[in-house]
Amino acid sequence: MIEFLSGAVAMGFLVAAGFFGRFWRQTADRLFLAFAVAFVLLALNQMLAQWLGAADERIAYTYLLRVLGFVIILGAIVDKNLSQSGKKRDSKKA
Amino acid sequence: MEDAAFSDEFCRFLRAAVPSVDAAELLLLLQRESARWWSAPEAAAELAPAVVLSESDVARYFGIFQASALVAVAPDKRVQYLPGFSALEAHVQTLEQAYRERPVTLIRVIYALRDNSIQSFAAAFKLRKS
Amino acid sequence: MGTLNLLLTLLAVLASLTCTLLLFRAYAGNGVRLLLWSALCFVCLTGNNVLLFFDLAVFPELDLRLYRLCASLAGILFLLYGFLWEAE
Repeated sequence: MIEFLSGAVAMGFLVAAGFFGRFWRQTADRLFLAFAVAFVLLALNQMLAQWLGAADERIAYTYLLRVLGFVIILGAIVDKNLSQSGKKRDSKKA
Repeated sequence: MEDAAFSDEFCRFLRAAVPSVDAAELLLLLQRESARWWSAPEAAAELAPAVVLSESDVARYFGIFQASALVAVAPDKRVQYLPGFSALEAHVQTLEQAYRERPVTLIRVIYALRDNSIQSFAAAFKLRKS
Repeated sequence: MGTLNLLLTLLAVLASLTCTLLLFRAYAGNGVRLLLWSALCFVCLTGNNVLLFFDLAVFPELDLRLYRLCASLAGILFLLYGFLWEAE
C-alpha cells in the first residue's frame, strides 16, 4: 500500500510540475517556474524516501529536498512582491 | 504617443473598465456623444456594422462602465457619459488617443490584461493588491 | 541535527501555510475556482509538513508515513483536478 501511494504521489507531483511549467511558458511569470522546480523536488523527495526505505538513516536528508522545494516557493513569493513592475509592461513596445 | 502613456494607472483603468476592444469602442462612442442618453439597442445600432455587439453585451458593458463611475444611469436604463472624477476623464482621453495613434498596442494591452484563472493564481501571491 | 530538522520542517510548514492563506484570501476576493482547489491542495501539503515535523523532530518512529502519504495524495489530487478542469 505504501509503495503504491508513494508512487502515485511522486507521479502526481511530476504531473503538477509539468502543468506549472506549461503555465510558465504561457505567462512568462517566474513564479510558475519556481513552483515547477519545487514540485519536481517534492517528487524527488518522495522517490528517494521510498527507495532508501524507512529504516535508513540517510532518509532524514532526503527531506531537505522537500524543504528546499518549499523554500523556493517562499523565495518566489518574495520575488514576486519585490519586483512588482516587471511583468506586463513589455506590451508597451510597438 | 509615448510608451509612458501606458502607465500602471491607465492599465489598471483598462483592466477594470475596458474588458475588450468592443467595450473600448462603445466607451469612446459614449464619450464622443456625451450630451446624449443612450439605450443599449441604440448604442448597438450606432456601432454597427463596424462593431457587432448584441444588446445584452452592450448592457453588460454599461454595467461595467457604471461600476467604474464612467456613466450616469437613468431610471429607464439609459446611460450618459459622465466620468466620476477627472482622473477617469484623463484615462478616457488617453484611451481615445491610444485608439487613434497606437491601436495595435492598445489592443494588445487590453487583451494581455484580461485575467484568466492562471493569472489569478499568480496574482494571489501578491501581498499588496496594487 | 535535531534543532536543524525542527527549524527546516517549520520553514516548510511556514511556506505551505503562506500559500494556503494567500490562495484562500484571493479566492475569497475573486471567486476563481482554480484558487479554491489550489488552496485545498496546500492545506493538505501543510498537513503533510506538520506531520513531517512530528515525524522527524518529535517522534523517532516513522509510522506517520501512511498519513503523510494520504495527505500528499489528497493534496495533489485537488491540485490536478483544478488544473484539468478549472485552468484556462
